[in-house]
Amino acid sequence: MASTFIQSLDPRVTRLQMPEDINQQPLQSEALDQLVTFQVFMQKKEGKNFEHAGIVHAPTVELALLYAKEQYSRRFTCSGMAVAETSTVMASPYTDGGISVYQLLEGEAEATTATADVYEVFHLMKRGKQHEHAGSVEANSVEDAFYKAKESLMPEKPVLNIWLIRRDDLLTVDEEDKDIWNTLPEKGYRDAAAYKAGDKLKDFKEKNEATSSH
Amino acid sequence: MNTDALKELLYKIADDQLILGHRNSEWTGVGPLLEEDIAFSSMAQDKVGQSYQLYQMLHQMGEQEPDTVAFMRNANQFHNSQFVELPVGEYDFSLIRHFLFDHAELIRFSMLSQSSYEPLAQLARKIKGELKYHVMHANSIIKQLGNATEESISRLQKSLEGALPYALGLFEPSPFEEALKEGGIFEGETALQAKWEESIRKIVEQTALQLPDLKTLTPVYGGRSGVHTEHLQPLLDEMAEVFRVDPTAEW
Amino acid sequence: MYGGGNTFEKLQGTDLQNEDPQKLAEFEARIQRGEKIEPADWMPALYRKQLVRMIEQHGHSEIIGALPEGTWITRAPGFKRKLSLMAKVQDEVGHAQLLYAAAETLGKPREQMIDDLINGKSKYSNIFNYPAFTWADACTISWLVDAGAIVNQLANSRGSYGPYCRALERICAEESFHLKYGHHAVIHLATGTPKQREMMQAALNRWWGPLMHFFGPPDKMSVHSETLMRWKVKMASNDDMRQQFLDMYVPKIWELGLTIPDPLLRKNEETGKWDYTEPDWEEFKRVINGDGPLNKERLAVRRTAEERGKWVRDAMKKVAAKEYVTPLA
Repeated sequence: MASTFIQSLDPRVTRLQMPEDINQQPLQSEALDQLVTFQVFMQKKEGKNFEHAGIVHAPTVELALLYAKEQYSRRFTCSGMAVAETSTVMASPYTDGGISVYQLLEGEAEATTATADVYEVFHLMKRGKQHEHAGSVEANSVEDAFYKAKESLMPEKPVLNIWLIRRDDLLTVDEEDKDIWNTLPEKGYRDAAAYKAGDKLKDFKEKNEATSSH
Repeated sequence: MNTDALKELLYKIADDQLILGHRNSEWTGVGPLLEEDIAFSSMAQDKVGQSYQLYQMLHQMGEQEPDTVAFMRNANQFHNSQFVELPVGEYDFSLIRHFLFDHAELIRFSMLSQSSYEPLAQLARKIKGELKYHVMHANSIIKQLGNATEESISRLQKSLEGALPYALGLFEPSPFEEALKEGGIFEGETALQAKWEESIRKIVEQTALQLPDLKTLTPVYGGRSGVHTEHLQPLLDEMAEVFRVDPTAEW
Repeated sequence: MYGGGNTFEKLQGTDLQNEDPQKLAEFEARIQRGEKIEPADWMPALYRKQLVRMIEQHGHSEIIGALPEGTWITRAPGFKRKLSLMAKVQDEVGHAQLLYAAAETLGKPREQMIDDLINGKSKYSNIFNYPAFTWADACTISWLVDAGAIVNQLANSRGSYGPYCRALERICAEESFHLKYGHHAVIHLATGTPKQREMMQAALNRWWGPLMHFFGPPDKMSVHSETLMRWKVKMASNDDMRQQFLDMYVPKIWELGLTIPDPLLRKNEETGKWDYTEPDWEEFKRVINGDGPLNKERLAVRRTAEERGKWVRDAMKKVAAKEYVTPLA
């Protein structure tokens, strides 16, 4: 039995009451408690396209969206957000040498049936950048969605990579809940601009020079 | 306008927010999941930020500066409920407290957005989005963990039972209840509590958790008049440790 | 925040012999052209391995890096500092999340990385094994350790791996707040009461050694590091980054009337470089190998956080009821 706890300079840590020999105890090595991942898309301003921002780990798409809000928009302007489980994203291969993914598609789109799904289409225009929303298509299958996207969304410039996500697999923040991004304007403490100490420094230097020259 | 009544109201709301925001910041960096850690920290910051706004409002009514009020008072001068000063405990307790507290907070401020005291009504409107997010988060996670494993359900159940008497202390009757209502400043603790009960019940019903009969519980009162548990004074001493090295210095 | 001094895996002479020469040539040509490598691209096994290792160490440094300043999170003086420090420590957690995500795209699940941190298999930046005795230590970290991290991260953000560069871009944007906040807090101490100045000078004295260690020992040029530089995994030499840091921050420290505890420190007019007392690299090695002032506590905290959070993740995992897949970008 460990009789003493680690005493830390951090009172929070002392309160954790960690046994002195904690690091010598065997790790609880069961299966990894690894959650699923969600791809996060963010709209910086009304009218701008949604852009891929990164991922979050979460148990469900609802919580993924709430987590994404704090991880990706807590210090950037944001007017909309969407998340989709990684496994629901259909990705094309990457292309090279100025070839567009769309040029690799040979075939025609089918006629849309009543059971068609809406797919959101994201394009990667440059390596190193993020995938950006290009529009949506109605299609009977993923394959068909690629052809439909080629018909209606293909830009002049080559697209290096395409992601397709069924709209039903994407969760977005409802219009009526968008006020979650209205925070106190006093949140300035998160911005570099809130920390101006130039005058204080100037006064100090002037005083210093004055004393050293006498 | 009954200034004493208004001040009592503002102090108790602000003190609740400051103390709980402070408590919840203890999780920053040691939370159960990185994403949850980040979200929980944001909500703690929101609370501290909101308390600052209320202390500012009090300052404009002649009270001392926010820093002085927050960092220089002793426990018996604080009007927070005892609920918010309890230690963070394990994460189940912190989540349950977050759930119970933030439901009350959202309803309180939605009432206050109609307040006859315009600065308060304005602030209530400004922070509506923040409070909404807090409740969305609380509901989402309580619904999920409250329906998940045997362990998560029993932990939350135990914390819920332990927390409820303290949570009821949030609605400790105020000597100014009638004055606040008459002046159109605030609808009062009784009305708030009724709405709160309905609001948390709706969520708990969607989980495997059992909400005890609230009428059988004895609410823990005292906080609003400066009576606190043994946890508050050490919390304040810790919070003000650096500030009190030299309260006149600029930090 | 993160420094140099990454520990890279030793290169074996045979490492590249098993790679398809044509694919390898195309891969190198892409990097040469200044294009980024994306997760689905072909890459040499060694590139993948080194990147996972480096990005993972960077992620660990963020999550462990939340602890030294976290020491003062409940004691920050005044509303403004309280809110700033909460936001800053939160950012470190956020950065860890972003970096782990970038490493995950290379195929290593996040929980595996966290397990490897706890069981001591992978490293993090040495500097976070030192204690923050006073509020002034926390301010010194916010300013100068973050300043060092920015030097390193700006260099790395010009590297070749797309997801890492994107994570760093976001991180650098946030670090600019850290740097300003840290400088602001240090200015207040250094220009404040005698007691505040004294605190500040004592903290600087404590942190100067670890700061000089921060970028790692002088690089020995080898085939290994040449390969990593050619692949734009390692972007600048440890010494270059240290010089850049000294160039940018020594004058700013001096203008506050603070004394840097190194009598040899001066800008050499002939070489244009800073002369300084070589830091104790034996101590650096000792600390990296686990024998620093707070290695034990830092790992114990991480481990405790993991263990006490396990029921939450287990419950979430049950709700999700789905298998993990590698994130896309």
